[in-house]
Amino acid sequence: MTGKLLAGAAFGVALALSQASFAADPVKIGFSIAKTGLFAAGTGSQWDTYQLWKDEVNARGGLDVKGVKRPIEFDWYDDQSDPGKTVQIYEKLITDDKVDLLLAPWGTPMHIAVAGVLERYHFPMIGDSAASSKLRDIKPGNIWFTTAVMPDRFAPAVAAALKANGVKQVAVLTAQLPFSLEVKSYLMPALEKAGIPVKVNEEYPPAIKDMTALLTNVKNAAPDAVLVFSYPSDTAVYMKQARELGIAAPFQFVMIGVTDDWFLKQFGAAADGIVTMGHWTPERKEWPKGKPFFDAYEAKYHEAPDYLDAALAYMSCEILEQAVAKAGLDKDALRQVIATDTFETINGPVKFEGVQNVITPPGLLQIQGTKMELIWPPDFATAKFKPKPAWPAN
Amino acid sequence: MRRPLALAAWLGLIAAAVLVPPLLGDYGVAVALSLAMWVALAESWIVLSGMTGYVSLGHAVFYGLGAYVGVLLWNTVPSGFAIIAAGIASGGFAVIIGYPALRVRGPYFVMLTFGVAELVKYVVIDLEAGLGVFSRLILGGPSVIVLYYVMLCLAAAATAITFLVGRSRFGYALRAIRENEAAAETIGIAVGRFKLAAFALSAVIPGMVGAVAVARSTYFEPLSAFDPVVSFTMVTMAVIGGSDDLRGPLLGAAFLVGLSELLWANAPQIYMIILGVLLAIFVLFAPEGIAGRLFVPARRAVS
Amino acid sequence: MQILLSGQLLFAALVTGAVYVLVAFGLNLVYGTLRLLNVAHGEIVMVGAYTSFWLFTLAHISPLISLFAAIALAAALGAAIYLGLVRRLFASPRLLQRLEANSLLLFFAFSIVLQNVAALLFQPTPRAYQYLDRVIQLGNASVTENRLVILIVAVVLCIAIILFLRLHIYGLAIKALIQHREAASVVGIDVEKVQLLSFCLGFGLAALAGSLLSMTEQISPFMGFPYTIAAFVVVILGGLGNLVGGMVASLLLGVIETYGVAFTSSSLRSVLIYGIFILVLMIRPQGLLGSRMIVR
Repeated sequence: MTGKLLAGAAFGVALALSQASFAADPVKIGFSIAKTGLFAAGTGSQWDTYQLWKDEVNARGGLDVKGVKRPIEFDWYDDQSDPGKTVQIYEKLITDDKVDLLLAPWGTPMHIAVAGVLERYHFPMIGDSAASSKLRDIKPGNIWFTTAVMPDRFAPAVAAALKANGVKQVAVLTAQLPFSLEVKSYLMPALEKAGIPVKVNEEYPPAIKDMTALLTNVKNAAPDAVLVFSYPSDTAVYMKQARELGIAAPFQFVMIGVTDDWFLKQFGAAADGIVTMGHWTPERKEWPKGKPFFDAYEAKYHEAPDYLDAALAYMSCEILEQAVAKAGLDKDALRQVIATDTFETINGPVKFEGVQNVITPPGLLQIQGTKMELIWPPDFATAKFKPKPAWPAN
Repeated sequence: MRRPLALAAWLGLIAAAVLVPPLLGDYGVAVALSLAMWVALAESWIVLSGMTGYVSLGHAVFYGLGAYVGVLLWNTVPSGFAIIAAGIASGGFAVIIGYPALRVRGPYFVMLTFGVAELVKYVVIDLEAGLGVFSRLILGGPSVIVLYYVMLCLAAAATAITFLVGRSRFGYALRAIRENEAAAETIGIAVGRFKLAAFALSAVIPGMVGAVAVARSTYFEPLSAFDPVVSFTMVTMAVIGGSDDLRGPLLGAAFLVGLSELLWANAPQIYMIILGVLLAIFVLFAPEGIAGRLFVPARRAVS
Repeated sequence: MQILLSGQLLFAALVTGAVYVLVAFGLNLVYGTLRLLNVAHGEIVMVGAYTSFWLFTLAHISPLISLFAAIALAAALGAAIYLGLVRRLFASPRLLQRLEANSLLLFFAFSIVLQNVAALLFQPTPRAYQYLDRVIQLGNASVTENRLVILIVAVVLCIAIILFLRLHIYGLAIKALIQHREAASVVGIDVEKVQLLSFCLGFGLAALAGSLLSMTEQISPFMGFPYTIAAFVVVILGGLGNLVGGMVASLLLGVIETYGVAFTSSSLRSVLIYGIFILVLMIRPQGLLGSRMIVR
């Protein structure tokens, strides 16, 4: 039985290869993404965005490689949510599959793991869904990060937004996961500097199912702001139980999951007023590429793109596209262009210094009614912060 | 192993393994590295679980502890020392936890080992959070080829340990415990001490493997390092290969790594489904594993 | 400290306990009567949750009705697994010799298959829907209706099961099988039939739990594993195969978890639970409420 299976698989591969060879000199772009394991639930929007970009570019006649249009072909693997496997895949992509370009995997651990491979083979890649000040320890030159929410830049922005909106005291709940803990570590001094006392400060393990004890404490402390540095599954737990207990703080920040389409669908009116992490919006006139991306995504997938993951993934694709148009596929030329040029993206201009995007400011989004509004920083805001209305009764 | 043919086969295998880097290129080394890792882990696992019948579903704890010790020591001491320290830490932990744990039998032991691995994972998470550390990086670690040869040594060491234990009086005593623990005790086998020794022995190499693996992935984070999937994979490989046979883990690891290279690429869920079906088939129809199926007469001759 | 006396915390403890009862009972039943370690139990919970999710999303059928469909589906699946796979385990003396370990591997394989079939069919993205999610006031506690429903169903189920085990002929047969396996067939119990029945019942109860949890939890192909673990913790606490012990242990664990966290810190939740789990296994493997007899 296995023999047959293997033969079948081999036949399938052969078929795919022979079909590919008919296409006119495609550009092979490799990446890995978690389709199984710990992170699989979170990678959907990045995957969808990559596919959308590929379809768009191919519909335009292909990727512009220094004036020559060549169709894009993806070469991807499931990394099984395992950083070790991710390393292996990127090595395979570079040395065995000999891809022309690379796109990023999903998640901070994967980016960190891959950075070493890129360095070893001097292969430039633009990262997306990764944020950690640790990334700056990575030798710059072959990896760049489009994100604007590096913890040490994001946390002060949160403190500033709290102060600007008259918050007097806060409760902070943090999932024990790398990114959330790191944001908190930068937030505490920023809050102290802003003169905002922390009434409740608790950590909880990932995959918590019941927050009643935590939230009872929060309720008794009655702060003006609750900041929950959460991941998607505990984001949902917070939303349900904060509503059950009637947490009344006007400023309620919930970190990851809110920007994804399911959040608004699932929580409806209860989502109104929730603040979250993000720096993109399709609504700003100064970022004219934003709206077409939003519309194209919605038309293809019948849901809104994730304001964080999908936007970041699309930005890296855009930057790669523009860099290749100018530099072609030569790695040194490409590296040079990415490191020095300024790129027009759906999130406005992006320029890298070292490994990070230095133009896009860290921001906050808020769900107002059923719309996502950028409320911070003030110069970029599409709407003003509005206090969270009372939780709906049903 | 009595026949020169078998010896030649083993030597050939080692020679082939040593020649992987010059012959197969970078990607070949990467695959061989992960193969060597799983061989080392699964061979270690059978020293305890294959021989004594005490099925450990928590061997990830030794791998994770090794990774933790490894990442803590990485840039402070020579890397060889970090790897050895990781092995000692895991072995030491096995002795401490094994003393009470090995008095528990059957399904209780299975669950206990799983629980211990999860407990340690959450303790490390709390510890790291308390220290204000969110994840650890190894920058400028050794090259893949160096790591491959180190891992190959660990795989060879694990196989050698299993071989030596399997043929020694110690190994026969362990198997006697598996067949009937009470009877083994009556004929004068120091059951408690023997089980503990097997447990510690099966923990040392996974600890060292963890330290090498963390240098390979350059990243330590408790949720991945103590991922129960590591434990499950070890068990699966040993069972598919044959859990009381030196060649079992080797064949099981080779089979699964090979299968994953062929299938996992663009059809990850299908790969997992096939994996599940295969495991079920082996449990039901070939509990002696690939090794048992392939080498029936040889096996009888030995046991 | 006043928070410890609040009705809110008590309610949370009771609901957590109720979820544990729902999830753990089927697992315990299957172990008690067949000595099988069903590590795919959580995946059956997942199947139940998806059944209710889809019936609600596509046909607006209340989960309180679709739960019967979920139970039926899971029971049918259980019958197929029992007749197709489990009987083979029992038929071979070699496999029977290490039944627990072999069943563990077999069900582990089954759980991988179920997870990935679900991921293939439904995408790994978590899903949820709203049903009975009004918040009502009960004394000084505010309570979401669907959580209250879970609590009520769990209480009713416990009473029904206790009565079934005491009064119904099959209930008595199941109890006999758990307590005196060898003697059961001697006194004329059709062991095969009772085993099939309790296997299907165990699957059905897992799906029931899934149906109810679909109202309050995120539904995804990989949601099952934590429930499998929770169920095993409860079952160990109450004693493997000790059905009433399992019920008490569920409540106890709900209380320990909720109040333990309130007394100390949320960050200690998992350490607390696994710590208790390990201590019980090392010190009293027969369970807090079990008698030595059950441990062989």
